Amino acid sequence: MPILQESQAIPKNIVRIQAGIWGFVLAAFSGLMLFAMTAWLLIKGGQSVGEHLSLLGNYFPGYSVSWSGSFVGMFYGMLIGGIAGWAIGLIYNKVVDWRIRGK
Amino acid sequence: MDKTTKNNRPTVIIGAGPAGLTAGYELSKFSENAVILEADHTVGGISRTVSYRGYRFDIGGHRFFSKVPYINELWQEILPEGFLLRPRLSRIHYQGHFFDYPLKVTNALAGLGLVEALLVCFSYSKAKLLPSAEDDNFEQWIANRFGHRLYRIFFKTYTEKVWGMPCHTISADWAAQRIKNLSLREALYNAIFNNGHTRKGKLITSLIEQFHYPRLGPGMMWENCKTVLARKNSPTVFGERVTGIRHKSGFVECISSQNQAGEKTQYDGSNYVSSMSLKELILGLDPPPPDQVLQAAKSLRYRDYLTVVLVVNRENIFPDNWIYVHTPEVKLGRVQNYKNWSPEMVPDSCKTALGLEYFLWEQDEEWRWPDERLIETGIRECAQIGLIQPEEVEDGTVVRMKKAYPVYDQNYHRSLQIIRQYLARFTNLQTIGRNGLHRYNNQDHSMLTGVYAARNIMGEKHDLWSVNTEKEYHENGILQGETQSGGDRLVPVGGPPESSSLPVSALESTNAAGRQQILEEAFALLDPLALGLAVGLVCGFGLFLAGVLLLLKGGETVGPNLSLLRHFLPGFTVSWPGVFLGFVEAGVGGFVLGNIAARLRNGLMFAYAGIVRRRAEAEENPDILDKI
Ligand SMILES: Cc1cc2nc3c(=O)[nH]c(=O)nc-3n(C[C@H](O)[C@H](O)[C@H](O)COP(=O)(O)OP(=O)(O)OC[C@H]3O[C@@H](n4cnc5c(N)ncnc54)[C@H](O)[C@@H]3O)c2cc1C
Repeated sequence: MPILQESQAIPKNIVRIQAGIWGFVLAAFSGLMLFAMTAWLLIKGGQSVGEHLSLLGNYFPGYSVSWSGSFVGMFYGMLIGGIAGWAIGLIYNKVVDWRIRGK
Repeated sequence: MDKTTKNNRPTVIIGAGPAGLTAGYELSKFSENAVILEADHTVGGISRTVSYRGYRFDIGGHRFFSKVPYINELWQEILPEGFLLRPRLSRIHYQGHFFDYPLKVTNALAGLGLVEALLVCFSYSKAKLLPSAEDDNFEQWIANRFGHRLYRIFFKTYTEKVWGMPCHTISADWAAQRIKNLSLREALYNAIFNNGHTRKGKLITSLIEQFHYPRLGPGMMWENCKTVLARKNSPTVFGERVTGIRHKSGFVECISSQNQAGEKTQYDGSNYVSSMSLKELILGLDPPPPDQVLQAAKSLRYRDYLTVVLVVNRENIFPDNWIYVHTPEVKLGRVQNYKNWSPEMVPDSCKTALGLEYFLWEQDEEWRWPDERLIETGIRECAQIGLIQPEEVEDGTVVRMKKAYPVYDQNYHRSLQIIRQYLARFTNLQTIGRNGLHRYNNQDHSMLTGVYAARNIMGEKHDLWSVNTEKEYHENGILQGETQSGGDRLVPVGGPPESSSLPVSALESTNAAGRQQILEEAFALLDPLALGLAVGLVCGFGLFLAGVLLLLKGGETVGPNLSLLRHFLPGFTVSWPGVFLGFVEAGVGGFVLGNIAARLRNGLMFAYAGIVRRRAEAEENPDILDKI
């Protein structure tokens, strides 16, 4: 009875990503991150607050490093994160399907 | 097998050990008579209790514990009063030190001394980090789990004393049957659904910490059983060694036995159930079987056992039930203190009876030594390891037990297959028990084969050979509640018996299937290529989109800040060719990231799963020495 190689013994299914859940998780993560980053810069204060972060306004209309902007940023962060997570899930599942069908 | 045996011929059972007596007992429940032929002058076989001047002792101390509910019921039924629940205490003697067994880390390290403890830790860590790829014999199995040093100290010498052969030659089957080799799947299942414990692990722990024991030793159980059977018209005939089995066309016609005076008697039965050794049975067949079968039977080997019992004039010698003697300087393998099994095992509470256990081959010269010489040796070795002073010994006796252990050597499996195939032709002969199946069974599994043989006679269909094997039958009968895979257990085929069993409910099996699915999903692998591609595409496209947006917006200097990414993505600029280059470069970066993330997650999961399995195995096998 040869030793069980861990990789041999483990259930061998390939996981399918739930695109919706990934989207939700990444949305929550990036939305909160952007909110927290903006809020942190505001709390820190200084002469020119969030000079670089405010450049995101180029992409996110209405975003600025301000308290109202932090909520706008949270919205955009969630939107982008959600789309990215969902897209990763979708693409991953498609690739897995192709690969399994190919085998 | 005939559905009914209602004729005037009883079932003839060979051997009044636990298996034979249980077969008779089970038959009596169906009002079937049996006659039990016993070569010896006492019941119980290896599970007998010998009495010497009022001092009682076993052939090695017999704990009553079973995971088979029906057997527990039978024990209570046969011996309704008389069971004691005893705490278990046992230690290992090694080089002048006593170590708790099952092993406790602090106690073991303290006993070994600083240098040895460090070496042990080192070898243990090595085993954990770099286990051998082989796991197919006892030496490798232990060394892979405890390290080579602990193996040498705590397992090697004792195992070799018991089996008389080097550990690396002990067959994988032995480890598989006696030592639970947990499947990773099972371990993970327990980790998730049973709070990290194996269901059996918990049960095993409690079975190890205490055990049942008849007040006057196991012989008390078998004496009672014999008496009950005699009352039910199923007598036990002593001093009758079965020597011949006459058969024709797959049917046993009669058997003949011989008593000590050499007188022969013939017994006619409707069915025959044999717990005598397979070797003896095959060699006794008339006409003899084909040469290949004879050779197979001749190749079966048995380890013999001898106990020297010393009556010591001291009230308390040590608190343990037994002590494993690993010290290589003495031949002594184990010391039993029968008073600690039950106070009634000694007639005088101021004295102690020690059972010194020696494991030998019949061919060894020690086997033929006169009792006096064996007693002298016992006293000397016992004093040498510091248990007694020679002058404290008042009396002593010796009991020899041939064929105490069926040997699992490299050939036994093949031989057994040949014999089993040959015996399958007999419609009215079944073999049961430890030596009748050449299986390293405890009482419970030996008894269970007796139960099944009786039920087969009554028309049920059970495969006696699969009792206490690793085969994965789903038991919904006698073993209710014992449904997970495991080594030290019985796994019969067959329909539900009439009593003490309920089928596993549909709900339970649906739950099990659901849990299995959760397990499959939770531990499914992430495909590194797919995750790499997905993350790569999203990153690449994200950067591409960011660049394109700026380009479309236009202005004097387009995207001076985004262009800073060129520090990480060589050649990247916010220009039309630049965004395509950025797409490729960010795509490659994302691919690497996603791929590594998937591999890391899979690796961590393997590592976690490995730890869970080893922990669960350790939990299920804290008593490996007991199984040797
Ligand atoms: C050292 C030691 C410690 C053990 N400890 C435990 C323990 O703690 N717990 C536990 O449950 N089990 C223990 N066991 C195992 C237990 O003893 C056996 O499983 C059990 O006795 C087997 O029962 P059996 O009926 O199959 O065989 P046996 O006990 O061997 O009985 C067979 C009977 O058949 C008779 N016989 C043989 N040949 C013939 C013949 N030709 N004609 C007529 N009669 C014949 C024999 O004399 C014997 O009485 C231990 C065994 C040993 C050796």
